[in-house]
Amino acid sequence: MNRRPLAWITVLALTTLVAACAKKTPPPQPDLGSSTVTTPTQPATDVNPQPRPAVDDKKPDPLSGDIAAANDHAYKAGLLGDVYFDFDKSDLTEPSRARLARNAEFLRAHPEFQLSIEGHCDERGTNEYNLALGERRAAAAKDYMVSLGVAATRLRTISYGEERPQCTGSDESCWSLNRRAHFLITGRTNVG
Amino acid sequence: MPRALPWPAVVCAVSLLTAGIVAAQDPAATPAPPPAGAGAQQPGRDITVVLPEANQLPIIQLAFPAVPNLSSLPGPAANAGRELDRTLRSDLDRTGIFEILGPEELAVLTVSGDLERDADQYRSLGAAMLLQSEVKLEGDKVVLEGRLIDLASRQTIVGKRYRGTYDLARRIAHTFADEIVLFLTSRRGIALTSIAFVSDRDGSKEIYLMDYDGQDQRRATGHKSISMSPAWSGSGETIAYVSFFGGGPALYLADVATGRKSPLVTEGSLNASPAFSPDGRQVAFARALGANIEIFVCNRDGSGVRRLSNSPGIDTNPAWSPSGQEVAFTSSRAGTPQIYVMDVEGSNVRRVTFEGDYNDGAAWSADGTRIAYATRAERNRFDLAVLDLVTLASQKLTSGLGSNESPSFSPDGRRIAFSSTRAGSSQIFVLDARTGGTIEQLTFQGSNSAPDWSPYVK
Repeated sequence: MNRRPLAWITVLALTTLVAACAKKTPPPQPDLGSSTVTTPTQPATDVNPQPRPAVDDKKPDPLSGDIAAANDHAYKAGLLGDVYFDFDKSDLTEPSRARLARNAEFLRAHPEFQLSIEGHCDERGTNEYNLALGERRAAAAKDYMVSLGVAATRLRTISYGEERPQCTGSDESCWSLNRRAHFLITGRTNVG
Repeated sequence: MPRALPWPAVVCAVSLLTAGIVAAQDPAATPAPPPAGAGAQQPGRDITVVLPEANQLPIIQLAFPAVPNLSSLPGPAANAGRELDRTLRSDLDRTGIFEILGPEELAVLTVSGDLERDADQYRSLGAAMLLQSEVKLEGDKVVLEGRLIDLASRQTIVGKRYRGTYDLARRIAHTFADEIVLFLTSRRGIALTSIAFVSDRDGSKEIYLMDYDGQDQRRATGHKSISMSPAWSGSGETIAYVSFFGGGPALYLADVATGRKSPLVTEGSLNASPAFSPDGRQVAFARALGANIEIFVCNRDGSGVRRLSNSPGIDTNPAWSPSGQEVAFTSSRAGTPQIYVMDVEGSNVRRVTFEGDYNDGAAWSADGTRIAYATRAERNRFDLAVLDLVTLASQKLTSGLGSNESPSFSPDGRRIAFSSTRAGSSQIFVLDARTGGTIEQLTFQGSNSAPDWSPYVK
C-alpha cells in the first residue's frame, strides 16, 4: 500500500476529473449540517417504508381454477386439441395421432384430470348411423391415448352423432370441422 | 332418473271417450235408422276388394254430397259437424280407394232426396257409390249417421251411427272411414293411427306425436336435452326412445296413455336405435363395446341384455320383422353401411342391399315382404328405396328433391312416412309406398325428423 501512494493519488485525481467532465454542472448537495439534531433528547421515531402491494409476476395456474377455465386454457395453449376424421371413417390419420400424443402428454402431466371424449359427425350421414360412428371415433381416440399410457378409467366417450355440429354450414369446409373428436375436462380426482 | 312427465291430457281423454263412441256404435251395428229398401248389412262378396297390400286397388267413384242442414244446428255443434265432414272427406281421399265427387261436382245434379230416383243421377256422373252422412245432436253430443250405398243395387253396404262429444268430431270421422276401408278391402284403415317423431320446435329435440294426417301435434317428452329415435311397441301402448338427459345416449320407455317415463337400458357409453319386437316383449338396440358397435336385445324391463350381432365395426339401427323371426340392421362389415337381415337369435346373417355405398334405416312392411330404406344418392342427399325381399330388387321412391330419410310404413303397408329436406328444413312427409306419389307434408314448425308410424290401435 505505502509503496505506491502517488499512483493512488493519480487514480483518484483522474476519477474525479472524469466525473467532473461527465457532469459539468453537478446538482447542489443538500447541506446536512444545518439540520443536524444537536440535542438528541427525544427518542427517534422509526420511519418505515410505506407498505406497497406485492407484485407477483407469476400468474395463477389456470389449470388449477374452475373446470371451464381449465378447458379454455388447455385448448388455447394447445395442450388439448381436436382430431379430425375422413367422411364415414373413424381411422386415425398421422396428424391425428400426433395431436393425440400431445393430448396424452398433457394428461400424463396432469393425472388429476378426468376427460370426456366427444365423437361428432357431419350432417351428411343418417342420424342413427352417425350416432354409432361418433362413438367409434371417440373410442378410436380413447384407445390410442390409452396405448400411450393414459388410464382408461380417466377417459369417458360420448357420441353426439350429428346432433351438435361445431359449424353449421352445408359445405366441406364445415363438414370437415364437424367430423371430430373433442376433448373436455369434466373433473378432477385427488391424485397422490 | 327420468322424470315422470304428464303427456297431453288429450291422449288420456281421447282414450276414455273412445269407449263412448264404441258404445254408441253398438246399436248401429245394423244401420240406424234403416233406409227404405236397404237390406241388412251383409258384406257382398262382389264388392269386397281383397287384394295383397302391394297391389293397386281399383278406384271407386264416390258421390259424397254435403252434410245436410248443418247450419240449422247450434254453433258449436255445427262447427263439430263441419270438422267431421271435412275430416271424413280427407280420410276417404287419403285411402286411395276413392275418387270423390263432392258438392261442387254434384252441383250440376238436381237430386230429390229419393234414392230410387237420385241413384241414376249420381251414376250419370260415373259414381258407383254414394256416401250419405247426417249430423244430429243428442244432448251435449254430436251424432254421425253415415251410409255407404251401392248405387247399382241401391243397397246400404256400410251403415254406422257414432256419438261423441264435440271435441271428438275428428275421431268419429276417422272411425267411420276406417270401417268403410275395412269393409271394402278386408284391411283396416289407418285413420286412427299416429306417428311419433322428433322435433326441435320447442327449443330442444323432443319426442312428439301426431295423428296420421298431421293433426293434433303434441309433445310427449320434456327432457330439454337431445331426445331421438322413437319406436312404437307392437300394441301401440309404449314408445321406446333415446335421450341424452342422463349424459350419453341411453334408452327409455314412455307409456303413451299415462306419459310415464322409465329407464330401459342406461349402462354403458352408447345405447341407441331401439326397436320393439312385434309382441312388445323385447327391444333390439345398438350398444357400444369400445369402438365396436353391436346389436343387442333386452327384455322390455331392461333385463336379459344379450348380444345378437358379431362383427368388428358398426352394427346398428335394428328393425324387427313383423313375424318376429328376423331382424334387419345396418352394418359396415363390408366397408360401407349396408342393410343385412339375421335370424332373431343372431344367426344366418345375409346382406340384402348391394347398390350404393350408404344404405341405412331399414323399415319392414306389415306383411314382411318389403324393406324400405334410405340410400345415399349424392354426397349430401338420400333417397328412399323399397327392397322386395323375394326378388331382392330395389325400387327408388324419391329422386332429386332434398334428402329423404327414416322411412316408416303405415300398418296397412300403403303409405310411408319419412323425413325430407325438400322444402328447406327437415320435415315429415308421407307418400305412396308403391309409386312414391301422392306426397303430403305433415309438419311445418321447427325441424322434424325420425317418424315412426304406430301400429293399429287396439
